[in-house]
Amino acid sequence: MSGSYGTFSTKQEEKRKRTVPDRVLIRRVYEYAQANKRNLQVGVAATIIGAFTGLAAPYMHAIAIDQIITPKNLSGFIWWIPLFAAIILSNYVFQYIQTYQMRIVGEKVVAKMRDDMMEKLQVISLRYFSEGEAGRIISRPTNDANTVRIFLRLGLTSILVDISSILGAFAIMFYLNLRLSLLAITVLPVAIVLVWYLGKYSRAAYRRTLITTSGLTARMQEDLAGIKVTQAYVQEKETEKKFLRSQDENVKATIRAILIGSSYTPFVIALRLIGTMIILFYGVNAWLYGTITLGILVAFIEYQFSYFMPLVDLVTMYDQYQSAMSAIERMFDVIDTKVEVADAQPERSIIL
Amino acid sequence: MKLRLLISDRLERSENLYIELRHSDYAKKITMSIAKPLVDYAKSLKQQKGFTKSFSAFKRMVNYHRRYPWHVAAIVILAVIRSILFSLEPLYTTFIIINVLGPPTNTSLLPGYLLVIILAGIGWAISNFILTYVHGAMSQYIVRDIRTEYYRSLQGKSFSFYDSVGVGDLTSRATVDLQLVDMFLRTWLGTVLNAIFTTIIIIVIIYPISPIMTLISMATMPFIFYFTTRLWTDTMPLFRNMQLIMGRLSSYIQQNIIGMKTVRIFRREKDVVDGFKEVEDIYVNTAINAGKIQSIYLPLGPAILTLGAALVYVYAGYTLGARGSPLAVAQVGYLILFVRYMMRLTFPIRDVSQTLGTWIAAYAGIERVLEMTDAPRIVEDIPDAKDVKIEEGKLELKNVTFGYVKDRPVLSNVTFTVQPGEKTAILGATGSGKSSLIYLIPRFYDIQAGSIRIDGTDIREFKLASLRKQIGVVLQDVFLFSGTIRENIAFGKPDASMNEIVAAAKSARIHEFIESLPSGYYTPVGERGVTLSGGQKQRITIARALVGNPKMLIMDDSLSFVDAKTEQEIQSAIEEATKTRTTLIIAQRFSTIKTAEKILVLENGSVAEFGTHEELIARDGVYKKVYETQFVQKASPILEEAGDS
Repeated sequence: MSGSYGTFSTKQEEKRKRTVPDRVLIRRVYEYAQANKRNLQVGVAATIIGAFTGLAAPYMHAIAIDQIITPKNLSGFIWWIPLFAAIILSNYVFQYIQTYQMRIVGEKVVAKMRDDMMEKLQVISLRYFSEGEAGRIISRPTNDANTVRIFLRLGLTSILVDISSILGAFAIMFYLNLRLSLLAITVLPVAIVLVWYLGKYSRAAYRRTLITTSGLTARMQEDLAGIKVTQAYVQEKETEKKFLRSQDENVKATIRAILIGSSYTPFVIALRLIGTMIILFYGVNAWLYGTITLGILVAFIEYQFSYFMPLVDLVTMYDQYQSAMSAIERMFDVIDTKVEVADAQPERSIIL
Repeated sequence: MKLRLLISDRLERSENLYIELRHSDYAKKITMSIAKPLVDYAKSLKQQKGFTKSFSAFKRMVNYHRRYPWHVAAIVILAVIRSILFSLEPLYTTFIIINVLGPPTNTSLLPGYLLVIILAGIGWAISNFILTYVHGAMSQYIVRDIRTEYYRSLQGKSFSFYDSVGVGDLTSRATVDLQLVDMFLRTWLGTVLNAIFTTIIIIVIIYPISPIMTLISMATMPFIFYFTTRLWTDTMPLFRNMQLIMGRLSSYIQQNIIGMKTVRIFRREKDVVDGFKEVEDIYVNTAINAGKIQSIYLPLGPAILTLGAALVYVYAGYTLGARGSPLAVAQVGYLILFVRYMMRLTFPIRDVSQTLGTWIAAYAGIERVLEMTDAPRIVEDIPDAKDVKIEEGKLELKNVTFGYVKDRPVLSNVTFTVQPGEKTAILGATGSGKSSLIYLIPRFYDIQAGSIRIDGTDIREFKLASLRKQIGVVLQDVFLFSGTIRENIAFGKPDASMNEIVAAAKSARIHEFIESLPSGYYTPVGERGVTLSGGQKQRITIARALVGNPKMLIMDDSLSFVDAKTEQEIQSAIEEATKTRTTLIIAQRFSTIKTAEKILVLENGSVAEFGTHEELIARDGVYKKVYETQFVQKASPILEEAGDS
């Protein structure tokens, strides 16, 4: 956007295929986290333990129903109340540690990467800043860095919490009742396939949104860069027409993406309810035969809730993960640019 | 000294055209500490509680919903349906426990209950789907309205507005900031209604079963409400500051990248990075502080609710059923209903917390957008402005005083007259006010004192559009829009015929070049088009100025350092273009100056000399000195010829 053409080249940017494998990128980001290694370790540990303690509540409810309230064995509350309170409290503490520590890691890592980028930009060849490139370069320490920041802050913890919750819920369910667990998870493969399949459409629609957004950004950028010409020739109405067209395209594409994106939930919820129905149907029969207690039955319904939502969350997190990886790759692209010695005395000639 | 100024002036122009035009402040700032304003800004941000301010922004945001009453109505209705259906499953599970498990056991009721659960679920899913869609679409429409309003207001802003605000900053307000607004608008109403309705419905269902247990479960609500509010009020100023710092930081990065050449020339790399790091530090610390507050309050809501559930258990354990005897299944069924409803309330609470989070971001975003939308236009039509046709093209300036900042005039008491069809060349060093002077004619800026008249009519009596349409303008920055060459030449008159366009191109001496391109006039320029040299771009902009066949022309001919052939072509283009038009031209070439009827020498914003070439030579002043030292010596053979004649 330097010189005379006020356009970003973000369009090409999005189409570009990634070349660096994820694990290389992850390892390099991890190196950046070395300075805050302690925070990272504590944060990850707290995240996982926190997710497990979060799963204890339905089980504790089952115990209260089956062993204390139903048999009217109220003295059980003497140990149940402190235990339950301790679990809730530790869950709270772990969540506190997790949120705080992971925030420190996320902010510091991105800040460090951004500092490195800025330092590098001051020394690399001026040719790098040639016409039409500025928009692209600018978006790295700003937009890309922000994408990574948000991912490290929310996405990473979500992924950890989701995986721990799913595994933890499975473990507890299988421990409580193997047969019912197997029945409960029959809907799972269907759900995964469905979410994945819808995700493909949703990703395509989302990409289309991104492209129209960068088209809109480019339009805006150019219109504003040329505003003096537009005003000098009294062409405000004409440029506005073009802008509104480009904006409408963007609005349409976004609404379409919203439509596809919001179709996830009905399917997933329907599947989850089928799961609940299966649990209730067999659970009631099992209760009649005396092979399951009321508390366990209710706990099952709640646990099904605890693994289904994280699962959907995880699949939708895939997009965030992908865009964070591309952003990380682009940031390292700047950080890794080779410095040419020839630039040591830049543009001396024009000072005279 | 003058000569030196002129030379360095020309050198800088050709090399740093872009920087000089859009970031004239930047070069000045660079001699101080570059990052100082930014650092000061970041430090100056107070942690005031922006509650009331946020509320007025919120009211304004709500106002945008007025245009979509049907969407709002649909959202309200769907939210009610959704909340009811959301609350059915625990109720029917309890019915199963009570009526199916018994006693007496009655399994024949089971399929019916399961069917209700499934139907409620499907109904919930469908209403949720429609609600999300309607909400999202409404949000898109509102964002579109806000952006259109923003764009329209920018179209009307004056040059002085654009002198002080970067294009990148303005663009990111319309994209990045509005995205944050969109995030909030997409769900906020549904989420708030959902929390309200779900709570009401649950209370309505559980109150008749046990008023005391209902009170116990609801006793936690005030705490949750209090802590959620605390979370909001404590973090809001921090998040707002973060966003404001980030906005500034982004434009700082942008300036740095666009002005990289200047940074290198003045060797300020270290300053740039140090200042950046300092502000980045402030940002990171603010973010971590906000994170700390969030980590305290965010997990608190669900924790309190869960503890409330424990209280319900304890109460139920002690009161339900006969003392010492096992509790009836029915009573356990109700107990489960209570606890499960309390657990269900965690979802709306979490959603409301998240919505408050998106509001904090959206608030800073909408504030940044409206700040620009609300900024005054500055140059405007006066109430009884008219369409005036310029017949002759006589231009008179009388005691014109103008400054970008009040009390610091760039031009003072400028008086001169250009006769119809005459050309006046303007000379002067950088900062002498040349560009400012010519930009006053089409009212890109308004003068502070004196008057400018065209054919005897004060330019303020013209409608802006009418005035500008009749003055051809060639700006210093040779800006072309992406599109075809034809579109660019016909920019000021989109319905121009091909003949008009070719005629203009011929006058601008660019026709032959255009014809030589593979697609001729339909060749695209811009990002994916041909790359044009500065000289070619300039001649296209001259052609662009000529298409409307204006009576008057103002030109900022600043292109220097071109080869002899290009120089000759530009020269010839200018000569042809200005032949019959009243022209004000900032001249770089002696040949241009020579063909002008009058020459105006500006010095520190005042007219130093004004007259014909011969008159000024005879006067033996600044002009003569410049003429002898610069043009005669440096002139190419062609120009020498012109100078000798």
